[in-house]
Amino acid sequence: MPEPSSNPHALPRQFIRNFSIIAHIDHGKSTLADRLLQATNAVSAREAREQILDSMDIERERGITIKASAVTVFHHHKPGAKTDDLETDYEAPIDDSNPDLHRPAPGRKAAPEDHGDLHMLNFIDTPGHVDFNYEVSRALKACEGAILVVDATQGVQAQTLVNAYLAINENLHIIPVINKIDLPSARTDEVADEIEQTLGFTAEDCLLVSAKTGQGIKELLAAICEKFPAPRTQVVPQLRALIFDAVYDDYRGVIVYARVFDGKLKVGDKIRMMGIGRSFLVTEIGKMNPKPYRLPHGEIGPGETAYIVAAIRSLKDVRIGDTITLEQDPATEALPGYQPPRQMVFCDFYPATSEEGESTDFEDLRDAIEKLSLNDSSFTFAPVHSEALGFGFRCGFLGLLHMDIIQERLEREGGVEIIQTAPTVSYHVLVRGKDTVTGAGGQALRPVDPASPFRTNVPDHFQLLEVHNPADLPDMGHIEEIREPLCRVEIMTPKEYIGDIMKLCLDRRGTYKSQQFISASREMLQFEIPLAEIIYDFFDKMKGLTSGYGTMDYEVISYKPDNLIKLDILINGDPVEALATIVHRDKAEFRGRGLITRLKEQIPKHQFEIPLQAAIGGKVVARETIKAFRKNVLAKCYGGDVSRKRKLLEKQKEGKKRMKAVGSVTIPQEAFMAVLDQGD
Amino acid sequence: MRQDTALPQAQQRHRTSAREALEAGPGPHSPGFPPVRSLYIHIPFCFHKCHYCDFYSLVDTRDRQEPFTDRLIRELTALSPWAGRAPLETIFVGGGTPSLLRAEHWARLLDALARLFDLSTIRAGRGEFTVECNPETVTPELMDLLRKGGVDRVSIGAQSFQPGHLKTLERWHDPANVARALDLARTAGIPRQSIDLIFAIPGQTPEDWRRDLSAALDLGTEHLSCYSLTYEPGTAMTARLRRGEFTPAEEETELQMHEVALNLLRSRGLDRYEVSNFARPGAECRHNLAYWRQRDWLAAGPSASAHVAGHRWKNFPRLDDYLSHSDDGFAPITDHELPDAVRAVSERMMTGLRLREGLSSPSLLRDAEAARAGSSARLQAAAMRLAGEGTLHIDGPVWSLTDRGILLADAITVDLMAALDGPGR
Repeated sequence: MPEPSSNPHALPRQFIRNFSIIAHIDHGKSTLADRLLQATNAVSAREAREQILDSMDIERERGITIKASAVTVFHHHKPGAKTDDLETDYEAPIDDSNPDLHRPAPGRKAAPEDHGDLHMLNFIDTPGHVDFNYEVSRALKACEGAILVVDATQGVQAQTLVNAYLAINENLHIIPVINKIDLPSARTDEVADEIEQTLGFTAEDCLLVSAKTGQGIKELLAAICEKFPAPRTQVVPQLRALIFDAVYDDYRGVIVYARVFDGKLKVGDKIRMMGIGRSFLVTEIGKMNPKPYRLPHGEIGPGETAYIVAAIRSLKDVRIGDTITLEQDPATEALPGYQPPRQMVFCDFYPATSEEGESTDFEDLRDAIEKLSLNDSSFTFAPVHSEALGFGFRCGFLGLLHMDIIQERLEREGGVEIIQTAPTVSYHVLVRGKDTVTGAGGQALRPVDPASPFRTNVPDHFQLLEVHNPADLPDMGHIEEIREPLCRVEIMTPKEYIGDIMKLCLDRRGTYKSQQFISASREMLQFEIPLAEIIYDFFDKMKGLTSGYGTMDYEVISYKPDNLIKLDILINGDPVEALATIVHRDKAEFRGRGLITRLKEQIPKHQFEIPLQAAIGGKVVARETIKAFRKNVLAKCYGGDVSRKRKLLEKQKEGKKRMKAVGSVTIPQEAFMAVLDQGD
Repeated sequence: MRQDTALPQAQQRHRTSAREALEAGPGPHSPGFPPVRSLYIHIPFCFHKCHYCDFYSLVDTRDRQEPFTDRLIRELTALSPWAGRAPLETIFVGGGTPSLLRAEHWARLLDALARLFDLSTIRAGRGEFTVECNPETVTPELMDLLRKGGVDRVSIGAQSFQPGHLKTLERWHDPANVARALDLARTAGIPRQSIDLIFAIPGQTPEDWRRDLSAALDLGTEHLSCYSLTYEPGTAMTARLRRGEFTPAEEETELQMHEVALNLLRSRGLDRYEVSNFARPGAECRHNLAYWRQRDWLAAGPSASAHVAGHRWKNFPRLDDYLSHSDDGFAPITDHELPDAVRAVSERMMTGLRLREGLSSPSLLRDAEAARAGSSARLQAAAMRLAGEGTLHIDGPVWSLTDRGILLADAITVDLMAALDGPGR
């Protein structure tokens, strides 16, 4: 047993703990993180913002964390103790450039050592939504333990389970924590039963905590040090560090978050990204506390996490999951990495004009998208042209929430105004022959990545193509089958809503899989549902049906062929590609009718009659007509009316300029969004 | 929602007077100064505020007719140099209810006009001097006075001849008084008359409307203004509509009424020369034509709007302000718009297309091109498209709206304004 060190940056690995906090959204993960930071004195109560780890505005507003970040704090723990003293009694050693670091704070008698051995706690924040499961799993890869937070009033929810499964898959030690026990509506015992029922932890395993009042925090800190395993010993002498996150900083370029498994890394080292094969010179190594600080010795060893600055210009030069080694003495084998993020939901973004008449052009949009992609490498974009909407970008997202966040960030941070088309999932289209098949823009359609686990059953003399834009769908005559992503969906619901949820899932082409008892009042339903049926408003519907009590999570598990067809929308006889969708044959008529009904509400009357049609391969399945207006003139326009009426007409003109032209029909931007509303 | 970024009215109220707007343009002493040939006078008094009316008026409980007339004469004195020594062509006295101004004040006003302006063209019958009259307030004495002062045209607000519909509009006159008023005017020697009618009144049928039109024609009028009822913001009528007190006329009904008016009036020799105005050839309202042809005019009285040398402004619409503030006679103004080439072309299209006579395209296109390069070709293309759609008639240099197009004049103006702007603005 090595001697405990008083130098926080030269701790033997036995005193290092790497862990994440995982939870269903709003179960108090961020508040608990804050409380831990505060208890270890990294943040004073005054400094603590409500949710310190969530640094982006959008995250704070949505109450979720979308970018993992790692924070290091120090804590003293006596071996075997079930509860620890809090660091509020003495200064935490965060900056060892201070020679008085370990001196007791003024007025304090005890030396830090009296409280036990110094431990370094690296905790790695995780995003709280299904779209970012891949981020959760990559964060977990850098950990040995996970704190599973369950709200004492809400109980086990869909995401609680999915996150717990992810942690179990990574062989992490889990400490279940029941949070918010101070609330009058807390039903702590019942929730403990639910945890036992669903995950097999006994009531004794669960720690009872109130992140808000601080109750149970001392016990949690003791458990972190006691129960979470120390990092494994190194297995090779060469440096191997796993990149679990990367963010772009305007001044320093890409900042990489890495966990060292083997070897050592120091400032001045020339590193190589084993997967990408690029090399960089390390200029800074530091930690977040939660504010960043440079490591004075500029060195980290096995078991530690840190951020690394190495003059990396673009996030494209970094792949999350890649292994960092040394250029001079490289490891031969990379660490097991991650599945690269897979874009499952696609839509187009086109430049639009705001109500104030501010126009965004294609270049503005491109700049904003490129800038954002420096910060978020998990969405894809490619230029696209639409007759109605001009030049724009086809973008791929991990899921619906991810799409919303990107759109919002583009508008907010990029200052651009966007028209977004209806989201489409990524389809796999099986076509006969090996000839190159081209999409609507003449571009070759990409075959499905041979490494994709979803590329199965491709017979000889066939190819499997990826299509995520209805316009790109080859002629139906050439298509052998269209496969769509299928999700396993877990829905946790109070029992009284089970019938409604069953009906919703079945209406969405769902297949019932199982039903699991959670507690006397709640059950978990498992269905398999095509992703395409989920991406519109499934979540809202589910919430509505369960009076807000239901929770859900989903994961794409396979691709499955079905009777899918392209539904065209014709305005005044012209097909509008931006409004086309891929739908199940049985739902085409219903979907088409809904769509043109909403379009009819959105498109203003013109001086001529406008037929609206939904059609499958030339066969009209639904039809509506926008009647021509026959009067549009103000009765009076005398001397005193000129200015006011001209301004009125100018306003109408500006409104009209915000519209897009399809042939001689002008369509408001909003109409392209009408397809987003399923409305059924 | 309208965003008002301008100063609160109380602050901007007295910032400018009509003097500044007038002096910004060529003045009476500058060479080549084009004299202004039209004058509008606003008399703000009413018996009662009609529920559909959004003109500035007040029920004059404090009897401010005398100070008002004094003030008005001072304003006319200040304005008169801009008419130069050239004869005025048109005067229009509107309101409010001009006929409510008592005879003694009218006498002073008419004297002042004769003293300050050259009325020779009007007196020779080659101009036009109109006074709006409420049928109830027309008296032989007033008509006589007006005639002597040079008035040669009265415009009578009949609105409807059916008491039920008048009640809906909150008009309380006896329909029979319209005939009486016209008789009195004719007897006094005022040769020209116009009747105002309103249609698409809630509950009114096309047949009711036809009867109103016939009644007006039977009175021998040569000029009719037929206004489809408009729910102007801030009027009692609009508030009642919002409260659901009645159902507005269906668009289909309103369109039928337009048809009825056009057919009936044409058959009786009154053609539509503007969206809402019908006249025998030669009997058109010259003063209003000056507005629609974008001519200049001077304006006096609270809320009156003027257009001189590309400037537009409006006298501040409150009698108290009008009475208490005077910049050597000039009134406090608001909504002053400076000359702007694009705006001028837009306005020309907006008002010109309302007219049967239409627009002269060569000068329009030339001015448009000068205001915004490339717009001439875009406007011509838009005109060709409109012609193809059957709403615009292109007859050599003249662009005019067809019978169908004239009811779409605003939408068409918006189209042309967009063409004037061009893409990417």
